Amino acid sequence: MFEFLFKYPPAIFSKGKFLLLSGWPVWLLLLLIVAAGAGLFWNMRQRHGLLSNPRATAIWLAQTALIAVVLFMLWHPAISVARLRPQENVVAVLVDHSRSMGIADDGKPRIQAAEDLLNGGLLPDLEKRFQVRMYEFGRDAVRVDEARNLAADDDATRIGDSLKHIAGEAGTMPLGAVVLLSDGGDNTGGIDRDTISKLRALRLPVHTIGFGPDHFAKDVEIVDVAAPARALAQSRVSARVAIRQHGFAGSKVKLLVRENDHPIAEQEITLKPDPEQSETVVFNAGAEGAHSFTIGVSPLAGEQNARNNAVVRLVNVAPRKMRILYIEGEPRWEYKFIRRALEDDPSIEVACMLRTTQNKTYVQGFGDKDRLLQDGFPSKAEDLFKYDGIIVGSVEANYFTPAQQALIHDFADKRGGGVLFLAGRFALSDGAYAKTPIAEMMPLRLPTEKTWSRNFAYATLTDAGKESVITRIEEQRDANIARWQKMPQIANYAVMGAPKPGAVVLMNVNEAGHRPTPLLAIQNYGHGRVAVFATAGSWRWKMLQDHNDRTHSEFWSQLLRWLVTETPGQVLSATPRQVLPDDTHVPLRVSVRDKNYDIVSGATVETTISRPDGGSDTVELRPDPLQPGTYTGDYTADKPGNYVAETTARQDKTDLGRDALTFRRENGVAENFGAAQNRDLLQKLSSDTGGSYYTPSNAKKLSGEIAVSEAGITAHDNLDLWDMPILFLLVILIRGGEWLARRKWGVV
Amino acid sequence: MRFRIAILAVLLCCGFSALLAFQARFKEYAGEEDNPSAVPADAYEKTEWTFARLRYPSGRYAGYSGERGSWPTDFPKADRQFLAGVRRLTRIHTRSTEQVIDLINDPDEIFNWPWVYAVEVGHWDLTDTQCKLLREYLLRGGFLMVDDFHGTLEWDVFVQGMSRIFPDRPIVELPDADPIFHTVYDLDQRVQVPGLQYLYSHQLWEKDGRVPHWRGIYDDNGRVMVAMCFNQDDGDAWEHADNPQYEAKYTQQAYRLGINYVIYSMTH
Repeated sequence: MFEFLFKYPPAIFSKGKFLLLSGWPVWLLLLLIVAAGAGLFWNMRQRHGLLSNPRATAIWLAQTALIAVVLFMLWHPAISVARLRPQENVVAVLVDHSRSMGIADDGKPRIQAAEDLLNGGLLPDLEKRFQVRMYEFGRDAVRVDEARNLAADDDATRIGDSLKHIAGEAGTMPLGAVVLLSDGGDNTGGIDRDTISKLRALRLPVHTIGFGPDHFAKDVEIVDVAAPARALAQSRVSARVAIRQHGFAGSKVKLLVRENDHPIAEQEITLKPDPEQSETVVFNAGAEGAHSFTIGVSPLAGEQNARNNAVVRLVNVAPRKMRILYIEGEPRWEYKFIRRALEDDPSIEVACMLRTTQNKTYVQGFGDKDRLLQDGFPSKAEDLFKYDGIIVGSVEANYFTPAQQALIHDFADKRGGGVLFLAGRFALSDGAYAKTPIAEMMPLRLPTEKTWSRNFAYATLTDAGKESVITRIEEQRDANIARWQKMPQIANYAVMGAPKPGAVVLMNVNEAGHRPTPLLAIQNYGHGRVAVFATAGSWRWKMLQDHNDRTHSEFWSQLLRWLVTETPGQVLSATPRQVLPDDTHVPLRVSVRDKNYDIVSGATVETTISRPDGGSDTVELRPDPLQPGTYTGDYTADKPGNYVAETTARQDKTDLGRDALTFRRENGVAENFGAAQNRDLLQKLSSDTGGSYYTPSNAKKLSGEIAVSEAGITAHDNLDLWDMPILFLLVILIRGGEWLARRKWGVV
Repeated sequence: MRFRIAILAVLLCCGFSALLAFQARFKEYAGEEDNPSAVPADAYEKTEWTFARLRYPSGRYAGYSGERGSWPTDFPKADRQFLAGVRRLTRIHTRSTEQVIDLINDPDEIFNWPWVYAVEVGHWDLTDTQCKLLREYLLRGGFLMVDDFHGTLEWDVFVQGMSRIFPDRPIVELPDADPIFHTVYDLDQRVQVPGLQYLYSHQLWEKDGRVPHWRGIYDDNGRVMVAMCFNQDDGDAWEHADNPQYEAKYTQQAYRLGINYVIYSMTH
């Protein structure tokens, strides 16, 4: 219809440039329209006879519009568009032959549907005007002679890499456009910006034809699992599982975590009516070493694709013992019971300094490692930054010098450590922290008045607390909530202000007759983490429950593990994806710091990678010119299995530290996921490059629209618009409408 | 109607359990006081710690103290004078009055007070339920200081009760190097602290308890749970700290030892 009324397809209008070819100035056109309108208005005023004002105005508007349309046609409107010159350009046709294209949606595999579309008319149409080059692509684009007997056998889809390959050939031939037939199931997470930039620089339009349904009728898929890459030994970790389902709303499924085929955690969930939902599953990371956890849901009866129900995530349990410095300003039970709670934790060591009297500090440290604490709270960065976390108890703000206050702030901000603030007579607002740099790092606003009280109150989980691993005492979510509801009251608390943006409140304090206020809040701050636990009365969770009850120790263990698990050493290595599904490229990135956690630019950084076959490779990392203190390198993981990368950094003869990283290469899994059509990706690809998206049913239009392109060998054509049927239709409608109105009003 | 009754019942239960959940406040034991002392103005202040005195049954062995029993010996003056010292010498937030932990009538209250003092335990006579409760209290993290018992007979009575609390844990001499003697004051050199009778008898010991012992019971992690001041009377030293005839060196040690025990219990 559009083409019938406007003479040309929409692509011409969206890509062309509008012109008036008469050579007469545009202002003259406007002037004549205004003059005609004014003349008609004057005439109407003089001779409107029996017509009322509104009717006269309607007639005047119709006559003016008619004159405007006619004048516009006289000015010779046209559109200038670049079009591929016939028989001089190449069109690349890429057919996806990854395994997902072998899925038979309506009894016919997608790749067969693509072949039929091409051979049934699209290809002959294109060949009439262009030279056509056929490619099949999965991991990369490979030239083929014809679109027949293609096999959906590649175990990955990399649309970006394949297009980059084609774009690379544009320098050797007049490539005018790309036609891409695919289900859009790209395994790399999208098309990278480089590829899009390159295509745009070449002005090469990519026209996409999408195959497959937008979703399966009955399927449950694990879209993603966010799990920590590192954990401490025997610590609980939580994984956030993103699930997409169609056709199973209301069904109950088991969310399972397995290691070596042994279930280690399970949770029953109900699939919601909304196709997308997220669930949290908590499990134990286990002993030291690299662990591969398979996380997913059990297959459901009637599911069309059961191979997308689970993914693998790696968790590296480091042999490191995290060290926390706890400074307490007065003897109190919380101090004793926190120490006891962590006594059996193999991953955390707490060195304590307690002000027992006005002049004495009792140090409970670990020999030489904490010898300096006898002299008081550290006042040098290199002494304080040896620790991974700090607990600040009931200590007045002015006990710390301004320099020490700045160090505590930098401990989280710059060093990346964790800082926990407890409530007390001399803590938080009562300790006059509100006007120190330390207040800025806290997740909660500090009231201006003193708010500490020794009233008993209940601690209740917030919605975030119900999902958090910090407050997870029972593995099962509902059992955990029930457990917290039975917890003894805390002995005291401080009323805190509202949470700051980015803070998460995990617990509230509820005292009868008072409004709930935040009790436990956490946030990331700078490179580190900060928490406020606005009580010193959690010791009652120990004293008022059976001596075998581990609620108190588990809570403290988990809170402090959260505080320090992510605290980096001087050398910190990372890679964007620890599990590589059908991919071999491993980018390595290492950050190197000195004892004060200042960046180190001139270090020698090497990574030794242990392969699954027992061999090893060494990669020398280069400084990143854009990010001082960061060193990068690349590794190719040829073989499937687990890899361990150990990085060392030296400067001159000084050892700056080491860090270990694990990653895993997997084969034959990528195509199991995202097997429905990724229409969004295909539409975005075509719109970003100036092409169009088609379905197989409307792909016939492609041959007519593909010629509009600025790539390859083009000619600029001026296409007349004055003879568009829409304009003549408009003239008839205006004149006819006026005549009909006049007849009705009796003034013909 | 039934719905309203159910709501009322739930509210009453909540209210009752809330009452139970609260920590008991200071209460006078008029008539049972051994050495009465005026109630100070801040008696009811809510603080982190206070002197918690165990009120235990001592029927069969309480010959001299009659109906009252042996638990309030030196009470409450000793408690309040020791509290004054704790306030002056440490940063512990404490009130000026003691808290009586009534093992007979309100046994569960003990769990709100992780440090407890029991005097004249050579006369205690605990029931099985009380032994079980004390065992649970100590295993959860509570600390018991016992004092003012002397000689073989009183030791045997004490051990008879203690062995029912912990049949499986030995009573040992606390070594000088134990942190309990070094938390605030270094107390390697200790003397026998006598009771007030010393002023009249001029002997430091009572009965056949000539040698002072600082004994204890450890938990599985090597922490002292029960500290025993045997053949000595720190309670009298606190009680008579303001008595010019009672020698300061004994008072000084009693205060230092008591403070060390309190700080130890709050740090280990």
